[in-house]
Amino acid sequence: MNTNNNTYTVIYTTVICVLVAAILAFVSQTLKPRQEANEKAETISQILTAAQFADKAELQKMGNAAIIQLFNDNIDGKAEVVSVSELKALNYKLKAGENVPVPTYRFKNGVKVIPIYGAGLWGPVWGYIAVDDADGVRIVGAYFDHESETPGLGGKIKDDPAFRAQFKGEVIDAGNPAKPFDIVKGGSPAGNTEDSKVDAITGATMTSKGLDAAMDVWLGAYVKSLNHGGTK
Amino acid sequence: MGKLKETFLNPILKGNPITVLVLGICSALAVTVELKGACVMALSVIVVTGVSSLIASLLRNTIPNRVRIVIQLVIVAMMVILVDQFLKAFAFAIDKQLSVYIGLIITNCIVMGRIEAFALGNKPIPSLVDGLANGLGYGLILIAVAFFRELFGSGTLFGVPVLSALGYTNNGLVILPPMALIILGLIIWAQRSVQKDLQEK
Repeated sequence: MNTNNNTYTVIYTTVICVLVAAILAFVSQTLKPRQEANEKAETISQILTAAQFADKAELQKMGNAAIIQLFNDNIDGKAEVVSVSELKALNYKLKAGENVPVPTYRFKNGVKVIPIYGAGLWGPVWGYIAVDDADGVRIVGAYFDHESETPGLGGKIKDDPAFRAQFKGEVIDAGNPAKPFDIVKGGSPAGNTEDSKVDAITGATMTSKGLDAAMDVWLGAYVKSLNHGGTK
Repeated sequence: MGKLKETFLNPILKGNPITVLVLGICSALAVTVELKGACVMALSVIVVTGVSSLIASLLRNTIPNRVRIVIQLVIVAMMVILVDQFLKAFAFAIDKQLSVYIGLIITNCIVMGRIEAFALGNKPIPSLVDGLANGLGYGLILIAVAFFRELFGSGTLFGVPVLSALGYTNNGLVILPPMALIILGLIIWAQRSVQKDLQEK
């Protein structure tokens, strides 16, 4: 058979492409419910880790059902879980200066978790900041995630427990909604939790700056709503 | 069987895709900061090169010559997306770790290079072996580079403190891509001084 004539080439290419598209569409549709359930459990486990209910690694071993159970047991009232793509849409509005409420997860023990979202070096970065409003706005814990930061550099926002641990106990500058928190080179001397500063990651300047900007936008909107007596 | 053995050993030693053919350098620079990432990347590439070489070889007599690159691309892209989709549904935690690497596999010159150079002219079984072996040759170099970079850059191996526990100050340069190129150069140098027939006249 002559495989080089035009008709054959066009038909062959079309058939292959349609076939591959059909396989991919079928697989994607079949696996979608499982993938979405996994993603929701992942978001919840990140929120729970930030709020110090459990560690991320522990939660991973527990399985999806147990993660959702732990969340429902501790959440105050009912909370819709806001997905990462919904955070993206909200981020546009917040950056445009629109007055939209920042989604806040309130837990029974008084801890509130606020999501943040922004641009890293290669893709979006996001995270969850757990705060306690009892004595100023103080960070209880934090968890960050990213889509495609370089592993070992920008990826450390997620992978390096030492980076996350710095946030614990830091106070958020509620009087300055334009710059409530800083992630900077040099950071703050160990133990100083009053300066609203933590150390950035060496070799990941752009990721650190992106995270810093995301904190400013989201925490800024949060403290602004506090100052107006909005979210109490 | 002797021929199959040679097909398997050649890409690992004398025809190593990274150190001899100098393919796949981009990802070798990007994902060798940590050993864990390098191992996972190596494993994924072995699977993708193996299976896409097998598929391409099965179709080799029907593929129109003028659009063969397009067809190869479709096969490789399909494989990579399938791997990604299955991991997302059944091994979510691993997929989270892999996220960046999965996309990078498509851009890896070795996958298409082996289909073009070997699978389109050989039977399915040797093609599968060739694909797997090339993935393995690539992976071994990746792991070797990552070993040095993680050890001297972060003082750890697989995230466990080794040098940093002994009071070693991390070398920031080793973390950056230029050092990966230098380490790769040293490996190529070492290989060429041992295998003298690789040296050009």
